[in-house]
Amino acid sequence: MRVRKVMLFSGAVLFSVAVFIINAATRNIDLGDSAVVYLRSVFNLLAFTLIFLLVQIYKREHPSAAVNSLSRLAVLSGIFLAAYVIVSLLPLRGFKSEDMKLFPQDYLTILFSSVISIIAGIYAIATVFYLKDLILYKRKKTTARNFWVMVGLFVAAAVSTVTARPLEETFLSGLLSGLAIVMIVVNSFRLAWIAYLPRKEKVYALLYSLLSFFGFLVVLIILSVSEGWTQKGIHYYSPPLFVFVQLASTFGAIYSGMAFISTLFHLPTAEAFDRKQTEISSLHNLSRLINQVFDLRDLAETATKMVTEVTQASAVWLEIIPAAGSDGQSGLLSVRNIAEEDIRPFMEPAGRSLRTAVLQSRSMLMIDDLHEDRRTRELPRLRTAGSILIIPLLSHDKVIGVLYATKEISYGFDKDDTDILTGFADQVTVAIENARLIERSLEKERLQRELMLAQEMQKRLIPQQLPEFPAVEMKAVTSPALEVGGDYYDVTMVDERRAALVVGDVSGKGVGAAFYMAEVKGIFQSLARIYPSPKEFMVNANAALLSSIDRRSFISLIYSTLDTVSGEMVIARAGHCPFILVSGGKAEYHRPGGIGLGLKGGQVFAGSVEEKKIVMKKGDVCVFYTDGVTESRSSAGEDFGYDRLLAVVEKNAARSAEQIREAIIHAVWDYTDAKGYHDDLTILVVKWTGGGRNKAGE
Amino acid sequence: MSEFKVHVRQREDDIHVLELRGYLDAHTTPVLEESFQRLLHEKKYRILVNCRELTYISSAGLGVFMAFIEDVRAGSGDIKLSDMNPKVFNIFDLLGFPMLYDIVPTEEEAAAKFGAR
Repeated sequence: MRVRKVMLFSGAVLFSVAVFIINAATRNIDLGDSAVVYLRSVFNLLAFTLIFLLVQIYKREHPSAAVNSLSRLAVLSGIFLAAYVIVSLLPLRGFKSEDMKLFPQDYLTILFSSVISIIAGIYAIATVFYLKDLILYKRKKTTARNFWVMVGLFVAAAVSTVTARPLEETFLSGLLSGLAIVMIVVNSFRLAWIAYLPRKEKVYALLYSLLSFFGFLVVLIILSVSEGWTQKGIHYYSPPLFVFVQLASTFGAIYSGMAFISTLFHLPTAEAFDRKQTEISSLHNLSRLINQVFDLRDLAETATKMVTEVTQASAVWLEIIPAAGSDGQSGLLSVRNIAEEDIRPFMEPAGRSLRTAVLQSRSMLMIDDLHEDRRTRELPRLRTAGSILIIPLLSHDKVIGVLYATKEISYGFDKDDTDILTGFADQVTVAIENARLIERSLEKERLQRELMLAQEMQKRLIPQQLPEFPAVEMKAVTSPALEVGGDYYDVTMVDERRAALVVGDVSGKGVGAAFYMAEVKGIFQSLARIYPSPKEFMVNANAALLSSIDRRSFISLIYSTLDTVSGEMVIARAGHCPFILVSGGKAEYHRPGGIGLGLKGGQVFAGSVEEKKIVMKKGDVCVFYTDGVTESRSSAGEDFGYDRLLAVVEKNAARSAEQIREAIIHAVWDYTDAKGYHDDLTILVVKWTGGGRNKAGE
Repeated sequence: MSEFKVHVRQREDDIHVLELRGYLDAHTTPVLEESFQRLLHEKKYRILVNCRELTYISSAGLGVFMAFIEDVRAGSGDIKLSDMNPKVFNIFDLLGFPMLYDIVPTEEEAAAKFGAR
């Protein structure tokens, strides 16, 4: 590109110098129609074509906004005028004219004729290009055509004078110029760019168009009436150039004049147009924002900013009303252009009634004069607010927020404002709803994570592995209905021989139950070693729990000590499901007395607890479980029940503890299909194999 | 399936009868709680719970009785239960409720236990 520009420039200079040399060489010769005249014209045409291309490249690299184009036009005419005046002031001898032909009196005249002509040419070409920007601002099919036809006529009118004597006016040239002027007028109605200017730029446009109008007008006047040598210099240099410059200046003058008048007429509506523009772009921004801003506060910030922009309100604030039953962010979310103390009156009873009215009517409220209106007369005088507009943000018939806008003057808001703001309020509502949804889902995600963590923690409260003994097998399983549950089982050693076994069920489900379950674990681990008797354990565990458990919660527990050598089990039950003992192949429920833990203290509890002592013989099985097993329900709504459980245990009693456990689980699963229901569910199977004693050779 | 209803009825002997119907679990306890709260608010402490049509009660349901019994007894009244089907009675019984509450076969027996006013 750079190389091309340099080549174009050098070419233009070269051809111009050639023209100058020809002019200098033929200073005093009447060339008539000789070939030299044509050669000179060709050189001129080439020089200006190259300038044309240069200007085109420059324009493409430096696109300008409408107003800038207009200001450039003023500058262009100014520069040309200045150059013209300066050159005219030079002490030159000028031309001698003879029979409409011009003879320069000295070489300097020739030189400066060249200079001013080339300046004139650049000026004319640049003028046409800047006007092209304006005319083609918003193009229709005919726009570009009309423009180029006009330029074509400029060139044609110019070229038609190639053979003419410098001061001669030919008929053809006059005709083409006339047509060109018609096209100038046609093109001068292409003023679409004015409408799109913001108000401020319209004022500038007015100024620039006036300046350029006078600029071009003066150029035209000077070119037509001036008797100085300069005007003749251009004629002498190239008659076509003179015509082109004249036409370009005419174009500039007419177009600038039209632009001035049109801008003047656009001025009164400029503000409204501006507002529509801002409104459109604000609504556009807001809808884009809806998809981008998830933070309520940011959203409110942007919304109030936009309201300020659109309505030119002096203060805007947004109050978010949290959904019932949520502890979401509430209150003032964004305050713009106003100190919080200026808002306070509207939050206090006197002003609050306005808000209440809006909440009740669920429609907009506008007070034109805060100081006169009877609804607000009680308010303290505010320098910041003369009128107020209050708009509820409605979502599904519920008010989720209130948007306030005030203006310093009374009667500050008109119908346009209310229309815009109502539309705006809808957009803001959608955005707030979106933000809240996202907030809620994030919150849900967080809770989910915490619950997973709780689940992990709870899994660690359940023994990873049960102790193993030669004569007894123990297998257990627990499965919470929700992420965490209230079931519990554990085994710990009371002394070298005896183990303590526990299965428990905290009333309720979920996180609340899980907390108590953790407490039960602590109690079991600490008390089992201190109180060897199950009854004593129960009484003390009850006392410990009563002090911490809430009134409506309780815990059912079955607790047993197991002598891993002798097979003696001492079992106490506190409100828990009866346990199953399979002895000699016969399964039976056993239900020693005892009320649940956490229900009642003192003698009532202690008096209720009984101990059941059994001695396990080889092949005997003891099963502890929670009510999740017996209360598992089929899709038909029937409980798994005690009988089924007993049957499964009896049927599988001869198998290993692990197989018995699996048999129970499968029986329950088979019974409750996918639609069925299950509670927290726990099973602990103890099977006496007697292995140790046999191996010991007893 | 998880339908639960409470019908409150006042007897001539100033005893309020709560007739429970359906399935009382963690989801339906608020219904029963509300009934108790209303009676306590009106200082009606002689409460008889008729369980004839109660099909199931979970541990959360049992908790409701525990939640109010102290206040009721502090008002020198009581909560007495009657007409339980065997399955429901078994749930109460396992937990030891018969040691804490009067649970009797019929409403009349329960009413009689309140004594005259």
